[in-house]
Amino acid sequence: MTVTSLQRPFTVVSLLPRLLDTNGDAGNARVLAQRIRWSGHDAQVVDVHSRADLPEHVDAVSIGSGTDAALVPARDALRTLVEDLRVWSNSGVPILAVGTGWELLSWGIDLADGTVLEGLGLVAGQAVPRATRATDDIIVASKYGRLIGFENHARDYVGAEASPLGRVVYGTGNGDRTSGPRIEGLTMGEVFCTHLHGPVLARNPALADHLLRAVFTRHGLEYLRGTAAESVDETAQAARNQVAVRVGHSPE
Amino acid sequence: MTVTGPTHRNTGFVRSLRYAPAILIGRGVRVLARWRKPGGGSAIPGVVVNRIAPGFLTTTLNGFPLGLVIVTGSSGKSTTTKMLVAVLRAHGLAVFTNQSTANISQGLTSALLERVSLSGRITGDVAVLEMDEGHGAFIAASLTPRVVALTNVMVDQIDRFHDSEMVAALLAKIAARAADTVVINADDRYLADLGDALEPTVPVARYGVSAEVLAQYPRGLGYAETASTRLPPGTGMQLTRVLGRDADVEFDSVAHSIRLPARGIHYAVDALTALSTAQATLGQHFDPARACAALSAMPAVFGRGEVVTVGGKTIEFVLVQNPSSFQLNVDSLESGTEQILVIIGSDVRDPSYFWPVDTSGLGHVLIASGLKAHDIALQLAYDNVTVDRIEPDVPTALDAFLALPDPASGVKTIIFSADGMRRTRAHLGLVSNAGES
Ligand SMILES: [Zn+2]
Repeated sequence: MTVTSLQRPFTVVSLLPRLLDTNGDAGNARVLAQRIRWSGHDAQVVDVHSRADLPEHVDAVSIGSGTDAALVPARDALRTLVEDLRVWSNSGVPILAVGTGWELLSWGIDLADGTVLEGLGLVAGQAVPRATRATDDIIVASKYGRLIGFENHARDYVGAEASPLGRVVYGTGNGDRTSGPRIEGLTMGEVFCTHLHGPVLARNPALADHLLRAVFTRHGLEYLRGTAAESVDETAQAARNQVAVRVGHSPE
Repeated sequence: MTVTGPTHRNTGFVRSLRYAPAILIGRGVRVLARWRKPGGGSAIPGVVVNRIAPGFLTTTLNGFPLGLVIVTGSSGKSTTTKMLVAVLRAHGLAVFTNQSTANISQGLTSALLERVSLSGRITGDVAVLEMDEGHGAFIAASLTPRVVALTNVMVDQIDRFHDSEMVAALLAKIAARAADTVVINADDRYLADLGDALEPTVPVARYGVSAEVLAQYPRGLGYAETASTRLPPGTGMQLTRVLGRDADVEFDSVAHSIRLPARGIHYAVDALTALSTAQATLGQHFDPARACAALSAMPAVFGRGEVVTVGGKTIEFVLVQNPSSFQLNVDSLESGTEQILVIIGSDVRDPSYFWPVDTSGLGHVLIASGLKAHDIALQLAYDNVTVDRIEPDVPTALDAFLALPDPASGVKTIIFSADGMRRTRAHLGLVSNAGES
């Protein structure tokens, strides 16, 4: 017998959307669920504010970005989920972490006042203060195509050199480096960390579909992009091209 | 009428001709600036006067007989200020007020120059100023306001890289200058805390919505954090009902009905803030019936739920200035609205700005337009909203939208960002409201 779908809806968990949704990055959970539906399967988003909210099955995880005022409460809440996060990442459940959500998964965050906020230690590296806030469009050349988004961060990220998400074509990414290629983001298995905030998966459906293939493969299923996604992805392409052209790059 | 308070016993009047030269020079520059660029250059005289007589602004502002009232907070300042001015004028007061928050000290000085005599004396009973929290905290140190009104703390304003704590700290700095009363929104957790901290030193007047009103808005009212409890009855002005443009406000256990200049809970809360601030400013001379009548008589606000007729077609304009107002407008859209045009322009620099908004309530959008047409269309698609057409060119989109026959249900509705509003206004040849900011 060939399995064609799950006996339950695919479940995308949005972690701490009250604390970590400054830029609407919690919406990436919505993007994954919607693309699953467009591919002909049932899907739901479950908002998780504490361990008690965790659903029985978790197929993908989205962690957004928050303000610095929310760093400590968000870190403390994530700590109660550290074992779950470890199990998910070890078993290939895709996790997308954006901005401060990513920083909290790291070894730690060096704050501007000289103190260090200890992270969860799930991914290599740490966040360090930068001289000026990076706020601009960003273009990244990656395995998942040319990623275009918006970044807004007051810290660089060091220690991700071994496995970046991609190379910075325009913008700041993980930070200014005196030598070598400038890089953006971090990947570890199916864990994806990035400064591209807000609707990164909507604007870059190739990355979304990579995560979804991982979701489906875990269940021996094949992910096929739905027809409804085709015109939406053309809209995303137009939005990306507009940014590329504005900053002097060619459209795709 | 006489209203006395501790800080305005004539102390601020400029009794000398100390500033006469600066005033004359400022006026001369103003004439030149107007002559060179009609209607423009309004801040230039202010720059000149502030340079040659730096004390002019604060001395004059502190010199009104009934003192200075400052309205500040993350959003709603502009509408609240206009409402408060209307209420105070209805009480017979001559009110000096500012038109915009840009370049506050220079713009204010320029505005004051038009009204001041050579002795530095201003005709007017009271000054009501709207201030951005950043600029306000900067200039407040030299001002002695009688009343400071705080609207809310929201982190999602255009200048949103401030966090809530930072905004609250700036507001606290301004509030600390108040000599008579600090008027606060008790539903805003940051302001409620700020009020509690002030209480021993300065009287605090609180206003808020009832539990029933709040329950109508399951997503809250857009504050960075909503206070966990509502204002206990009898402890401040309370908004007890909102339906369309009608609202009920209860004070001293008497309910008063008001008609808002536009539909939406945020207008009702702005009206509540204005009434509460008017009461603090006027004291025993505050006349609730007169105040409510003045509010209800205000003209509808352009671009914020205003209904206009263009070429025989009725259109409702909805301006979305930040994610909270976008959300509240989606949530309060008349059900069955079948013709919607959304115009998001270049002012929304970062496409993630509106992503926290759940737009699914729009259901069906005929055209997405503006420089960010593709970005907003993308968001709408993921919220299950059908978008028939993406047309970045605003005039083309407007013409196509207006050419459609009248909808069977609801009115033609245009939802736009500030840039979309400007382009719409220009293309349709509509005149703007004076002082729109
Ligand atoms: Zn500001």
